Amino acid sequence: MTNEELQALNVDKSVDARGTACPGPLLAAKKAIGEINSGQIMEVLSADEGTRKDIPKWAAKKGHEYLGTVEDSGYFKIYMKKG
Amino acid sequence: MAKMTMGLSTSSIDKLISAGVILSGAAADDMEVNVFVLVNAGHAFLKNKAADISNMSEDIQTSEEFKASLEKLSTPSWIEFFEMAKELTEMKVHICSLAGKIAGADKMEDFIDLVDDICGIGEYIESVQESDVNIFI
Repeated sequence: MTNEELQALNVDKSVDARGTACPGPLLAAKKAIGEINSGQIMEVLSADEGTRKDIPKWAAKKGHEYLGTVEDSGYFKIYMKKG
Repeated sequence: MAKMTMGLSTSSIDKLISAGVILSGAAADDMEVNVFVLVNAGHAFLKNKAADISNMSEDIQTSEEFKASLEKLSTPSWIEFFEMAKELTEMKVHICSLAGKIAGADKMEDFIDLVDDICGIGEYIESVQESDVNIFI
């Protein structure tokens, strides 16, 4: 998906994990994904470089669809659809 | 469900944090985890000591720097890492009876709530044999 398409998504759950370092954002994502239904969209906000690689891999491994990552000023937004 | 066994034989803060980070990753991956508290790690799990653990295992000169960095990064305490992992996956903490005795404790009420039971080394070996991933710290 393009950055524009990702930014235009209707997000069902937003997790702001910018205040935590690895593994904080991954744990926050793991907790939050349990609160939405299959097919719903979640975004994770993080400023941690390790998380940027971890969450897409984790999502794919757990059967969710990684949609893409958008960079913002000083952090990034990772989008996924729950499987 | 993949299985992980962790043998933990240290009561130093840097290695307890390392253990906590690894356990968090395993929990995010839905692994079934068994932590065995061995030999010198018993001290860290005592009710009257757990929250005050601050000794470093190595590079003692950087101790203050290390603690300041953890604070700056809002890193959870080692106990909080363990608690989060337990909350997210099937994880048990076993105290090896020798580790308990070395720490001067042999009853469940001597240990923090993270602890599930007191066991012998045979359970650790059995868990190691049944696990997909084995980590010793």
